[in-house]
Amino acid sequence: MRPAALIASARSMVGRLAQTAFGREAGGARLRASGSARAGLVLVGLLIAFAVLGPLVAPNDPYTSDFARGVTPEHLPVGPSRDFWLGTDRLFRDVFARLATGARISLVIGVGATAIATVVGSVVGVLAGWYEGRWVDTLLMRVVDVGLAFPFLLIVMALGAALERTTASTIFLTLGFTGWLGVARIVRSKTLQVRSLDYVLAARALGQSTPRVLLRHVLPNVSGPVVVIATILVAQMILAESVLSYLGAGIAPPAPTWGHMLFEGQDYLGAAPWITIAPGVAILLSVLGFNLLGEGLRDALDPRKT
Amino acid sequence: MRSIRGRLEPHRRARALLALLALAATAPACSDELPAPIPSAGPEGAAPRRGGVLDVATFGDVRASLDPANIADGLAPQIAEQLFAGLIDYDKDGAIQPDLAERWVVADEGKTYRFFLRPGVRFHDGEELTADDVKRSVERALHGSAPNPAATSFSMIVGFDELQEKKAETLPGVEVEGRYVVSFHLKKRDATFLPILATLPLRPVCKSAGARYSDAWHPCGAGPFKLLPDGWHRGHDLTVVRHEGYFRPGLPRLDAVRWTFHENPTSQTFKFIRGDLDVLRDFVTPELLRFQADPRWKPFADFDGGGQILGEAMNVEMPPFDNVEIRRAVAAAIDRETLRRVRASNLAATNQLVPPGVFGHDADLVGQRFDLGAALEHMRRAGYPYDPATKTGGWPHVIPYLVYKQGLQEFMGQVLAQQLERIGLRIEIRIVNYPTFLALRARKMTSPFGPGFWMQDYPDALSFLEPMFHSKVISDEGTNNWSFYRNPRFDELVDRAHEELDDVRRKKLYTEAQEILTDDAPWAFTENVRIFTQRQGYVREHYTHPMWMHDVTRTWLDRAAGPVAGRAIFSEKGLAALLGTDRRGPRDASARGRGAGVGQ
Repeated sequence: MRPAALIASARSMVGRLAQTAFGREAGGARLRASGSARAGLVLVGLLIAFAVLGPLVAPNDPYTSDFARGVTPEHLPVGPSRDFWLGTDRLFRDVFARLATGARISLVIGVGATAIATVVGSVVGVLAGWYEGRWVDTLLMRVVDVGLAFPFLLIVMALGAALERTTASTIFLTLGFTGWLGVARIVRSKTLQVRSLDYVLAARALGQSTPRVLLRHVLPNVSGPVVVIATILVAQMILAESVLSYLGAGIAPPAPTWGHMLFEGQDYLGAAPWITIAPGVAILLSVLGFNLLGEGLRDALDPRKT
Repeated sequence: MRSIRGRLEPHRRARALLALLALAATAPACSDELPAPIPSAGPEGAAPRRGGVLDVATFGDVRASLDPANIADGLAPQIAEQLFAGLIDYDKDGAIQPDLAERWVVADEGKTYRFFLRPGVRFHDGEELTADDVKRSVERALHGSAPNPAATSFSMIVGFDELQEKKAETLPGVEVEGRYVVSFHLKKRDATFLPILATLPLRPVCKSAGARYSDAWHPCGAGPFKLLPDGWHRGHDLTVVRHEGYFRPGLPRLDAVRWTFHENPTSQTFKFIRGDLDVLRDFVTPELLRFQADPRWKPFADFDGGGQILGEAMNVEMPPFDNVEIRRAVAAAIDRETLRRVRASNLAATNQLVPPGVFGHDADLVGQRFDLGAALEHMRRAGYPYDPATKTGGWPHVIPYLVYKQGLQEFMGQVLAQQLERIGLRIEIRIVNYPTFLALRARKMTSPFGPGFWMQDYPDALSFLEPMFHSKVISDEGTNNWSFYRNPRFDELVDRAHEELDDVRRKKLYTEAQEILTDDAPWAFTENVRIFTQRQGYVREHYTHPMWMHDVTRTWLDRAAGPVAGRAIFSEKGLAALLGTDRRGPRDASARGRGAGVGQ
C-alpha cells in the first residue's frame, strides 16, 4: 500500500472509529441522557482539572517537610488550615500539593497503561479472531489463557520486584503490558462476529487485502466495546497503581502516589485521618468516574437498545 | 458496581456517595481522649501480693526455639530469660550481678573465672543444679551439632574450636572443681567474657536436655517461671507459670505471664486501654504520643535505653563515599534534631556510635554534629562544591539509597534526602523487602548508601565497635561491616580493648576508637531508639530491662477485683481450675490464666 493510500486509509479508519463509538445519533442521545455517563464525565473532568491546575495553585512544595508550620507541639501533623488546605502528612508535607501531584501520576499511568493495553489487546484479539482455529489463534489464546490464570497483581508485583528501580514509566509499561489480556479476549469474540458479516465478505470478495479489511472494516466495528473496556480499564489501572504503591512495589517515595499516601497515613488514621481520607476519596472518585463513564458508554453503544 | 447500579437509582447513588463523603469528613471528630489508667487497689507502699497473670502482647513471634542453645528470634530472649537462670545476669540497670553463682573470682591473670554456685538450686523438674549441669549445658550449647547462632561469641574458651568442629566431645575449658564449683579457662584475657556469659546461650538446662541439642526437647531450666507442656501454642500465645522451687524466696510473685503473638499495635492499644493487657510496648506513633503527653499516664511509664543505634552507612569502597570528605559532608549535613521528629516519640539524637547506658558511651565526646557550613566546605574539599543559592554543583550523579518496606528508615530516608539535597547530594530511594535489603547491604561493592542500625548483644561498646567496623569481619557476603571500613589503627584499639580488663583503661580505648569513627565517618550516626513502656496503674514493681525488656521477677498486680475492673486476681486454685479451658484465653476476669496449672 502506498503511503498516501495508507494515510487515507488510517484517516478513514479513525473517522469510522469515532462514528462507531460516538456518532450514531441514537447512541449519542443515550449517552447524553445517561445519568451515569454525565456523572462520570463530570468526575473525570474534575480529575483532569485537578491534575492540571492543582500543582499550580498549591501553596506548598509537595516534597518538602515543613517542620516549623506543618507540625503541632505534640509532634503530630497539622490539620486542614489556610496554610495547608488538606493538612500535612506524617512527614509534615502539604497533603493538597501531594494529592494534586499524585493526580498527575495516577492519570498519566492510568491513561498510558490503558493505551498500551488497548492497542496490544486489540491487535492480538483481531488477529486471533480473524485467524480463528489456526495456529495464530491457538498460540495467542493460549498465551492469554496462561496470562489470565495468574492473578494480575501478582504478575505486576513480580515484574515490579524484578526491576531494579521503579518509576512512573516502568509502572505504566508494566501495567500496560500485563493488562491487555482481557481486551484481547473481548476483541476476539467481537471479531468472530464481524468477520462473517456481509460487508466484510463483500470486501474480501472484491479482493481487498487482509490488512485493509482488518483496518477498514473489522477494527472500526469492534471499536465500540474497546472504548467501553478502555474507559473502565483506566479505573482499574489507577486502582492497580495505587495498590502497587501501597504495597511498596510501585513508584518509590518521595513521589506522592495516592497508594503510598494511603500507606503513609494508615498509622495516623486516628490522630490525623486527613492523611488517609484525602487519597482514599481521590481514588474512590477517580475510579467511580471512569466506571460510570464506561457504563454510560456501554449503554449508549449497546445495539440491543437501538 | 453493576449490582449496586441495579439496586440504586442515580439520585440515590448520589446521596449514598454524599453520605460516604460526609462520614469521611466527620471522621476527625471521632478521635477521643485517653481514659485514665486503671488504678491500684491499695496505697503506695502496700505489701506485695502473690498471684495474678501478667498479660502482654507483641506483634512478633517466637518461630524457632526457646532453647538457650538456639535463640534466633528477637522476641525469644525476653521469654527465655524467665525460664533459664544463668551463673550471672544483668540487673535492671545493665550491671552484671551474681545469679546462680553466689560469687566468682578471676585468676591466672584474667584467663580463669571460677564460679561458686548456690547450693540447693532446683530446676523446674525438681532436680538440684550442680557444676556438672553447668559443664553439660555449656558443652551441649557449643558442640558443633547445636544450631547455636551465638556459639562463636564463646570462642575464647579453651577447646572451643575442637568442640565446634566435632573433633572433641568435651570442653577442657570448663572444669568441674567440686559439686558447686566450676571454672572457665580462656585462651587469653577477654573483656567480653563476663558480658557474654551473662547472656542466654550457656545457661544451665535440665538433665532432660541431654548432652546434645535436640529440637524435640521441652524447655526446662532454673528460672523464675516454667513452661508447661501445653503452655505454648505456636504462632498464637505462650504462658509461663511460677516455678515454686525458684531459689529466691518468695519470688516470683505472679502466677503466670502470658504473651500473645501477632497482635498488631493498634489492637494492643485498644486492649490495653480496655484493661485486657497490663503492659504495652508496641505502639503506633500517634497513640504513643498521646500516652506520652498525658500526665495521668506518666507515672506508669518509662523509657529504656534500648541499646540501639541508627545511622547512615556509607560504603567506603564505592563512589562517592570512597572520598572521605564526602562522608564527612554527609555526617555534618544531617540535622539530627529535625530527623528525630520523624518519630519524636522514640528517637533521641546522638553524635556517636555507642548509645547511652552502654559501657563505653562518652557523654563528653564531641562526635559528629550538624553544621551545614562545614558540610558545604567538605563538599568543596571533596572536589564537588555546591552553591545553595543557585542550586548548582555537588555530586553529579544520583545516589541509590536502599531501604526496606515498612521500616522507619523509609520515612527517615525521605527527610534525609531533603537534608542532603542542601549540599548537592541527590539520593534516590529504592525499596526492597527486608531479606533482600540485608543481603544487598552486606554484599561487597553492591550498595553505596543506606540506613544502618545495630542493637547491642551485650551492653558494652565492643558489641558495637567490633562487629560493625573491625576489618576482620569483612567478607564478600553477609558481613555486618556494611561500610566495608578498614582502619589498622582502629582495629588495633579494638583488639587492645578486647583484652583490657581494667574498666578505666578500656573506656579510654573506646573513646579513642570512637574519635576515629567520628573523623573517618563510615557512618553518620544519627539517632538512638528508646523503647517506651506503659503500664496500668495497678502493675507494681515491673521494670523495663536493658537486655530482657521486661523484668517481672518482683512484679505483682494490685488490681481491684470485681466486674468493673473486669479481671480479678486469681487464687492459685482458681487459676489452676481455669487453665486450659480456652485456647485463646478469655478476656474477662473469670477466665484469665489459661494454659497451665500453677505450682506444679
